[in-house]
Amino acid sequence: MMYKTAYFKILFFLLYSSIVYTQENFTISGIVKEASSNESLIGVTIVFPELKTGVTTNEYGFYSITLPSGTHTLQISSIGFKDIVQKIDLNNNLKLNFTLKIFVEELEEVVLTEDVEKINIRKPQMSVNALSVETIKDIPLVFGEADVINSILLLPGVTSAGEASTGFNVRGGATDQNLILLDEAIIFNSSHLFGFFSVFNPDATKDVKLYKGGIPSRYGGRVSSVLEVFQKEGNSKEFKLSGGIGTIASRILLEGPIVKDRAAFLVGGRVSYGQYFLPALDIDNSASFYDINAKAHYRLNEKNKILLSGYFGRDSFSLDKNFTNTFGNTVVNFRWNHIISDKIFSNLSLIYSEYFFGLELDLLGFNWDSNIRQFNLKYDINDFKSDKLQINYGFNNIYYVFNPGTVKPLDQNSDILEEQLTKKYANEFAAYVDIEHYISDKFSMEYGIRLSLFARLGQDDFNLYMNDDPVIFDPFLLTYLEAEPIDRVDPPSGFSSSNGTGISDIYTNLEPRISASYRFNPNTSIKASYNRMAQYIHLLSNTSSPTPLDVWTPSGPYVKPQILDQYALGFYKNIKNGTFTFETEVFYKDIENRIDYIDGANLIANNAIERVILNGEARAYGLEVLFKINKNKFKGWLAYTLSKSEQRTPGRTPKVDNGRSNRETGINLGQWYNTPYDKTHDIALFGSYDLNKKWKLNMDFIYQTGQPTNYPVGQFEFQGLIIPYYGLRNEERLPDYHRLDISAKFVPKKRVFRKLQSEWVFSVYNVYNRKNAASINFRRNVDTGANEAIQTSIFGIVPAVTYNFKF
Amino acid sequence: MKKFVFILLLVLTFTNCEDVIDIDIPSEEPRLIIDALIKVDTSLLFQTVRVKVGLTDAFFGEVAVTDLKQITITNLGIDPTFFNPGFVVLLEVEPGVYQKEVSNSFLLTQGELIFQVDHEDQLYLAKTYFIPAVAIDTLIQGEGTSLDGGQTEIITTITDKISRNDFYLFDFDFNEFFLSKDDFYRGEKYEFSYLYDRVIKPGQKVDISVMGIDRAFFNYMNLLIEQSKSDLDIFATPVATVRGNIINVTDIDNIDFYDNVDQTNNFALGYFAVVQEFKKSIIIE
Repeated sequence: MMYKTAYFKILFFLLYSSIVYTQENFTISGIVKEASSNESLIGVTIVFPELKTGVTTNEYGFYSITLPSGTHTLQISSIGFKDIVQKIDLNNNLKLNFTLKIFVEELEEVVLTEDVEKINIRKPQMSVNALSVETIKDIPLVFGEADVINSILLLPGVTSAGEASTGFNVRGGATDQNLILLDEAIIFNSSHLFGFFSVFNPDATKDVKLYKGGIPSRYGGRVSSVLEVFQKEGNSKEFKLSGGIGTIASRILLEGPIVKDRAAFLVGGRVSYGQYFLPALDIDNSASFYDINAKAHYRLNEKNKILLSGYFGRDSFSLDKNFTNTFGNTVVNFRWNHIISDKIFSNLSLIYSEYFFGLELDLLGFNWDSNIRQFNLKYDINDFKSDKLQINYGFNNIYYVFNPGTVKPLDQNSDILEEQLTKKYANEFAAYVDIEHYISDKFSMEYGIRLSLFARLGQDDFNLYMNDDPVIFDPFLLTYLEAEPIDRVDPPSGFSSSNGTGISDIYTNLEPRISASYRFNPNTSIKASYNRMAQYIHLLSNTSSPTPLDVWTPSGPYVKPQILDQYALGFYKNIKNGTFTFETEVFYKDIENRIDYIDGANLIANNAIERVILNGEARAYGLEVLFKINKNKFKGWLAYTLSKSEQRTPGRTPKVDNGRSNRETGINLGQWYNTPYDKTHDIALFGSYDLNKKWKLNMDFIYQTGQPTNYPVGQFEFQGLIIPYYGLRNEERLPDYHRLDISAKFVPKKRVFRKLQSEWVFSVYNVYNRKNAASINFRRNVDTGANEAIQTSIFGIVPAVTYNFKF
Repeated sequence: MKKFVFILLLVLTFTNCEDVIDIDIPSEEPRLIIDALIKVDTSLLFQTVRVKVGLTDAFFGEVAVTDLKQITITNLGIDPTFFNPGFVVLLEVEPGVYQKEVSNSFLLTQGELIFQVDHEDQLYLAKTYFIPAVAIDTLIQGEGTSLDGGQTEIITTITDKISRNDFYLFDFDFNEFFLSKDDFYRGEKYEFSYLYDRVIKPGQKVDISVMGIDRAFFNYMNLLIEQSKSDLDIFATPVATVRGNIINVTDIDNIDFYDNVDQTNNFALGYFAVVQEFKKSIIIE
């Protein structure tokens, strides 16, 4: 406990040492909005060049800064918008709302001085990548569709398991270790159609930010990264309709005022054309998705605004009508922005979210539905103490209901008994304080702490095992086996079993976070950070193929929470006033209690998942380099990552002395092995060039070390089956992955309707038709009787055309 | 439950291509393979116990036969007497095949069954218990589906016993197997459909059998079936070394504890199991 006390002392010392007022100060505060739509703008910089200070707007467009009295110059800038430069006489508290006008190319005299995608040299926050929606729409992707997740894959430190795989991996972490927030609500599965699309409709998206390290204490619950996406709030000035017609999906978005300048709505939808994936037309397979985004906001008065937003998405994938898999997210979110004073902004969120996963199996006569429901209450405060100090604090409480599955017969003829797998309940509470502190002109820090508590609540059919070991080790065969429960109890909340482990155990974690920045000059800085994070819910997935099979399980007596410690160090440089930026970071992270699966673990409809899981550890380290060019006509970047990601599960320490050594080998003989997302080299190149007013050209290139996999070390025969057999896990790799994509955007002259703006996007994915291996399988050819290796590749060259419109 | 994936072989056929490729693969020292799945028809008095042995080779090589110095099965439940010593010795009938006629009472007397093999002065050992099954009630040919342009479908019915937690291995002939456990039909009649990977010619007789197995062998067969399949199976677990229950015990002196943790590479591939089997046949129309 000593270190905790010491930590608090340092925290309070740092906090109070700086609040020394020498002069009368006044506060300027307000909201920054976009002129044509009243959409509030996130991350806009408001700078006072003479005072060498500034502030950025928060997630709801609010800013506040406290400065000494006097006359100051104020400069506001944001990418794609005209700058505002204004003189202010500050002799009382001011309320200043700004509206920014979209930067039109004719106005060449306006020079962009700041840029959301440029490195913020001064801010202590590191390891964060922001992508503007404009950039996302320029990145050429398969089927010509703009997509948030597929765009962030071009950033350093971000990879995916390959084509047709869901989710993304950050700095060698698993997909379930990403905290994905859509308007503050947690999303469990970010993918549609095996990852070809993500759940974020790019037309409805306002802001995308990815935190890979140095994660502020306001975020928690996942150990690898935070992807924060904010949707547009809706145009409160005029009605707008936009949409696009693509090769496999189309989308439409309508927004407009309910009460002019005060209230607006936004409704968007996307739908795919199901039968695309059917090269063999006689096969009755289909894969499709649709989703709906809806949002409304009402500005009650200067100090209060309420927002209501909803998301509903479903994917459906069926095979010959014998097998149907449906999954998707549902989110309903009510938020109340309240400006408590001109320095204090608060937001209250009430969020309901559900993730549904279902299988319908005609042949076996049943369907299996699982879901996870979440009720989230969240209260966050931004306190803009002075221009040197901002304190963010708040709390968050999540109540979970896990339904691992309801098995139902499909019809009366089915012999399957209806069965409800045991539901689990849990509560996660967290409180945090996060301080952004500009200690001197050159040195700034962000430090904070998060206290998280996780408790399992009462449930039915809680399994008890001999010695509390749901997994037993056979010291003779050296295999792990599922233990048979010795008893089943229906513990109420607060239950504790006789030997001390019960589901009442509350996991408590203190998660310190700290980052510091030292600026050598206005264009050069170094930053360092440390963060500890805890993750209490886990995605169970040990499939080797791209499957959306998603079963989440909470921590409890048999599954411990994952604890991460991450250290990062970075160097940042702006060259030629930000025309070029260079940043490089090294990181090391270490995760305790990473779940691992015993060989052959079956996770589907498993009512006692603890019997196939052991807690191991994971670690990852690497170097990331990002070089960006931001010229008027040419924008682009080169990202390179060198990294290692591995995990191991050593044998457990014996609990009971029965005269035997009780040693265990651990999973994979307790040795470190490459995680499936270990990519030694990862290179991404992106370029975008404005040829003229009509044409814009884009390209991207990706090269990645092949994914770890297994090749057989031999073969044997058992009961007529020829079985390839394997050595230790993930010792081989698939061939390296690389591809080049290009696209051209054509904006025709406005003719037909004066208000209609339209564009055509012509794209070619995988230009040189590289056959990238998604997997290599080994089998005996039935006809020739010879063994062979089969490589499966997903996409060759894919040309596509998309038409987008807006009026 | 798990094996509904047999219908999912075409799941990712939207994928553009599958190519046979040349690839360098690792290999290791040849390892002993023992196929000792002993199927017992309890209605008979005598039983042929047949065990196949071989040596592994690299994946693109050939499995070779090998010979044993000795191979025995012991039933610890039998008190050894002169006329019934409680063990049998299997004899080579052809290269790599060892066989013996034994009385069913030897296999069915309740007790732990110990399997011992001496191969090149290395002693291998496995232990198991006899596991019962239930009979197949009916076999009906289904209408099949048009998946892959036509497959034969067999609808099988069994009646599970409520008194025990059962694991079943179905042998559908043609080296096709299906696993099931009674989690969702304990004590009930259970009917399920099996689709063959191929079209079976009308008039052909198909022998189908059900065996009772234990959880460990269920897990083992599950891995074997999965790993013997080549196709992208979306529910497949990652490949693993499929360790069976036959261990090299030459250097293990403490027979009571069998602590083998220091000799992780000391095992034979394959399995020793003694199971009850019920057979039924159907003529394909």
